[in-house]
Amino acid sequence: MAKQSIVPFGPQHPVLPEPVHLDLVLEDEVVVKAVPSIGFVHRGLEKLVETKDYKDYVYIAERVCGICSFGHGMGYCQCLEKIMNIEIPRRAAYLRTIWMEMSRVHSHLLWLGLLADAMGFESLFMQCWRLREKILDMFDATTGGRIIFSVNCVGGVLKDMDTGMLLRLVDTINGMEQELRPIAEAFLRDVSVGTRLHGLGLLKADQARLMGAVGPMLRASGVAYDTRLLGYAAYDDLDFEPITATEGDSFARCEVRINEIYQSFNLIRQAVDKIPEGPISVPVKGNPNGEHFMRIEQPRGEAIYYVKANGTKFVERFRLRTPTTSNIPPMLDMLKGCQLADVPLLILTIDPCISCTER
Amino acid sequence: MAEWKFLPFAQTALKNLFSAPVTTGYPIEPAQYPDRMRGHVAICIEDCISCGLCARSCPPGALTVDRKAGTWTINRFDCVQCGNCVNVCPKKCLSIVPGYTQPDVTKHSETFIRPQQPAQAAKPGAKPVNDASKCVYCTLCAKKCPQEAITVDRAAKSWTLDGEKCVGCGLCASSCPKKCLTMQ
Amino acid sequence: MEHLNTIEPITMAEFMPAVIRFKMDGWRVVQICANRVPDGYEMSYSFGKDYDMRTLRLTVGDDEKVTSITQVYPGAFLQENEAAELFGVKIESIDRDYHDKLYRIARETPFKQKG
Repeated sequence: MAKQSIVPFGPQHPVLPEPVHLDLVLEDEVVVKAVPSIGFVHRGLEKLVETKDYKDYVYIAERVCGICSFGHGMGYCQCLEKIMNIEIPRRAAYLRTIWMEMSRVHSHLLWLGLLADAMGFESLFMQCWRLREKILDMFDATTGGRIIFSVNCVGGVLKDMDTGMLLRLVDTINGMEQELRPIAEAFLRDVSVGTRLHGLGLLKADQARLMGAVGPMLRASGVAYDTRLLGYAAYDDLDFEPITATEGDSFARCEVRINEIYQSFNLIRQAVDKIPEGPISVPVKGNPNGEHFMRIEQPRGEAIYYVKANGTKFVERFRLRTPTTSNIPPMLDMLKGCQLADVPLLILTIDPCISCTER
Repeated sequence: MAEWKFLPFAQTALKNLFSAPVTTGYPIEPAQYPDRMRGHVAICIEDCISCGLCARSCPPGALTVDRKAGTWTINRFDCVQCGNCVNVCPKKCLSIVPGYTQPDVTKHSETFIRPQQPAQAAKPGAKPVNDASKCVYCTLCAKKCPQEAITVDRAAKSWTLDGEKCVGCGLCASSCPKKCLTMQ
Repeated sequence: MEHLNTIEPITMAEFMPAVIRFKMDGWRVVQICANRVPDGYEMSYSFGKDYDMRTLRLTVGDDEKVTSITQVYPGAFLQENEAAELFGVKIESIDRDYHDKLYRIARETPFKQKG
């Protein structure tokens, strides 16, 4: 047996802006074991629900994370709507769907940029983020915020998009789709990118399922599981299939995410086509009483929202299980047997969001 | 993998090299904000009735309302620009407008003082009083009440006010079709 | 199409056999959630298969010990550690027990007390 050494990795690392720390047990250059430790940015946001009015907590729920912000607000609201038996207007459901898909585009472009950056492909990184800027501008114009949107409320949404704005959105994404093609080509066809990503961090379908991988990570291993098919918001009216790849390596994860951006563009166009006229929210009176588990598909995978209410205006317990919590165990499996130099890239391919995970 | 390409990004890189920058020269050129941008909270203090609903609904607790002194204080360094105060304000005297707040080296707050005015219909601290002889128990006041302080039972012909919850915003009085509610 | 999303109360004796049965049938752990109730905790273990989700609800007393499911589902260690650390649920023999060192916080079991 070769001599073992332990290399601490993170919480501050040049390619990984996420505060995750790993103790890597190495034999020469090969990782034999990885022990994760998180907890650098725990803020106790779940606890705050006990002292805030359940309607005001929406704003805190969406501040759990800067990237999946819209989904967190929406998951929390949907949970309460289910408990209180509120049927939100269809227009509100469509608006939520549109914003959710815009969030997915923004999150995946961010991830693609970070991936390029981790590979040392700086100009590609800039190009991805330059494209992402367009969707952020659209967010700014439609919701008033670039990252935190504050448009969800229990019973619907707070802001409407008029026809002009919807057409401008479709124009923007059509333009973006054209601009994405050369970027996608650089990721999927370039020899150097391919050599870097192919065969790296293999995760077989069975293992991914057993360890509880979710989202693009699971789909890249060939499992067609997408929580959007549960048909919450307006997804039941839209036509789509989960995007999968078979290889289960880093390249497959990249491919799945790129194809999901195209899929999101398509979903936004479908939603804009079908969006009905009508009110955007219903008045909510009274306090919730009951409990519910809600599943929604965040850009990073399936997220679970649990609300237990006791008939007062303060919710008793709010639990948020983020996709990264589920994706860390399979990531540790993936790290075993890889080269030390590949570790940052491999951690990145699960699209970690540690701030979400710790709340 | 037959379709590998060599340097597929070169075309984009070359194009970027010879085209104008996509960024704006921000401090020199002014930033363009969209209309809906949530930049900072502004108040039209003349319309404020110091009900305190905004302060109670503020998630980070950046607002303080002094009912006696008629002041409205915001700590702009705590404010997260969620816009909740604007949504709950019964008098719609708050608004969230484009433009970021100035950075500073210390945290401080900004206070707005309501100018003293002669007694109005909805003077601060007043509570609605129902004239039972005119009331038709339409429940509109209960529906309008932001605090759910009014309970109207149409069958029992009763109108009750929860004085604890009432913030004296006067929305009930202004929405009453029979004008049987007065703020006293 | 409606998919399963149920909460089923379960006793401590039935719990581990149920977990092992889930594992044999190919279910995965979706989430583990602890909740404080007067003199005890409510542990909710959600399992998922395809689009179905079933939650087992275990009610435990203040000092009652819960067996860890990490021997069956190794991926559950993060969430079990979290429940043990934030709420003070006594979970026994977690594979990779962090012993209150998962979160770097000043207070012990901050979620145990209400309010």
